[in-house]
Amino acid sequence: MASYLSAANAVQARNGQLALPIHTSEGGAMIPVSLGANNDCHADDIDHGVTRATYERGFSPYEFNGGTTLAISGPDYAVVAADTRLSSGYEILSRNVTKLHALTDKCVLGSAGCKTDVDQLRSVLDIKMKIYAHNHRKPMSTPSVAQMLGNTLYYKRFFPYYAFNVLAGVDSEGKGAVYSYDAIGSFERTPFSASGSGQSFLIPLMDNVIAHKNRLDEKRDLPSEEVVEIVKDAFVTAGERDIYTGDAVEIMVITKDGLTTETFKLKAD
Amino acid sequence: MFSTGNSMAVGNDILDIGTQKYEQRQQQVSAGSGSMCPSAIQFGEPGAFDVPNVADPAAFCRANFASASGNKDANQAIKFAKGTTTLAFKFNGGIIVSVDSRSTMGAYIASGTVKKVIEINPFLLGTMAGGAADCSFWERNLGTQCRMYELRNKKRISVAAASKLLANTTNAYRGYGLSMGTMITGWDETGPQLYYVDNDGTRLKGNMFAVGSGSTYAYGILDTFYRKDLTIEEAIDLGKRAIYHATHRDAYSGGINNLYHVTKEGWTKIHAIDVNEMHYEFAEEKKNAMQST
Repeated sequence: MASYLSAANAVQARNGQLALPIHTSEGGAMIPVSLGANNDCHADDIDHGVTRATYERGFSPYEFNGGTTLAISGPDYAVVAADTRLSSGYEILSRNVTKLHALTDKCVLGSAGCKTDVDQLRSVLDIKMKIYAHNHRKPMSTPSVAQMLGNTLYYKRFFPYYAFNVLAGVDSEGKGAVYSYDAIGSFERTPFSASGSGQSFLIPLMDNVIAHKNRLDEKRDLPSEEVVEIVKDAFVTAGERDIYTGDAVEIMVITKDGLTTETFKLKAD
Repeated sequence: MFSTGNSMAVGNDILDIGTQKYEQRQQQVSAGSGSMCPSAIQFGEPGAFDVPNVADPAAFCRANFASASGNKDANQAIKFAKGTTTLAFKFNGGIIVSVDSRSTMGAYIASGTVKKVIEINPFLLGTMAGGAADCSFWERNLGTQCRMYELRNKKRISVAAASKLLANTTNAYRGYGLSMGTMITGWDETGPQLYYVDNDGTRLKGNMFAVGSGSTYAYGILDTFYRKDLTIEEAIDLGKRAIYHATHRDAYSGGINNLYHVTKEGWTKIHAIDVNEMHYEFAEEKKNAMQST
């Protein structure tokens, strides 16, 4: 219809009601119309009230794809783990997508949040690290990666990466290092860190078992094998209470000699 | 060779050694235009921050990405880590800077061990209150600028100039939802200096400031017991108590009290005491005081 006037002229009376014939790819149809004689004429009536119908509007660039990551540091190792479920709303899109990414053989990034932002962030980091390795003739050390990741996140301060990261690795002295981040790059080196949907279930457990808070028995250094068992138990717990966590958990242990990976199956419900 | 805007004719850029493309690029530097390559993958200095490609980027950022203090970001999808009670005051023996160490994301305590005093250089300290990432990024950036000043001018930067550099930055991003309430303090040629710099671009010189959600509680203690002629031990005790009382009453403050003392020779870290321990220490003290009267 070229104008309101021509539309008004095309309206016919059918069964005592004003209706506008339209032709669509599926044939013809008659749409009921009111031409302003009553008080229900609105500025957007040209579209027959479609915009006043209630349906989901507005585009959000972010989507939460679920998942949980956990990282724990020890005297000469770091353990990092993440579940492998990818969800969207109430649907599971995949049971086998990794959230861990080895940036160097001494440093692993685990990220939960919006998968596309996580993938983009990783691509950007990989490129920057390659350039660093070319310029400095050595791979980046873990504390430097930590600072670079913080800066990379902050450069998108006004349109953040929806990625909640934990960085785990060994520093140049061989000691375990874990860094936790918020979405815009505020970071801190911590003994352990968890992020994602199951964060609130894991952190209190870690506070008690790893940081030894509210315990009366003596604190002792844990070997990496024991920490891996603790991580498995922690993910089983998180999987029980968080719908976005489950399927399997991928556990990586980083020492100065390199990286080992293990996959532990969780409940798929 | 005249450039005709987006000349996509085949063969047109075969002979181009880059000048035409370079010139086209230079024209497209408007923030939020969306037509430029994202600065995330330009590996030199970030010329401009990416902003959302909407009609009013400032309003959008303020509404959706603000790292506002307290509970103001409760309806945002992404909550950022925020920090909260910091104080500093000048006295005859120099400057005391005393901070807590709690960082919250909404109602969740993200960390109890945040370093809210940023050591810009051996003579300058900056404190962090408000958005943790905002403060640590811009104060680190300030450290870079101070170092450049030193290299260019062969002398250390004054506290007034350093705080002005930071205030200029916050002024440039005014309205975008940054949250920073910081104090820049140090000892330069003119003596001990203390400036307060805000995310609105406010810059105030003063003798005593407390910043953050617990600041009102800290002011109560500071205003009551402050004297210009405090001894160093008394000043340290005052800084410690003020933070203790703020963490006791403010839910968003807590953790460890980090205290620094700034003198002519630079700053030194005096202590890092868990406020929980202070609680029992002061309770003991109160009990003893009550018993002796």
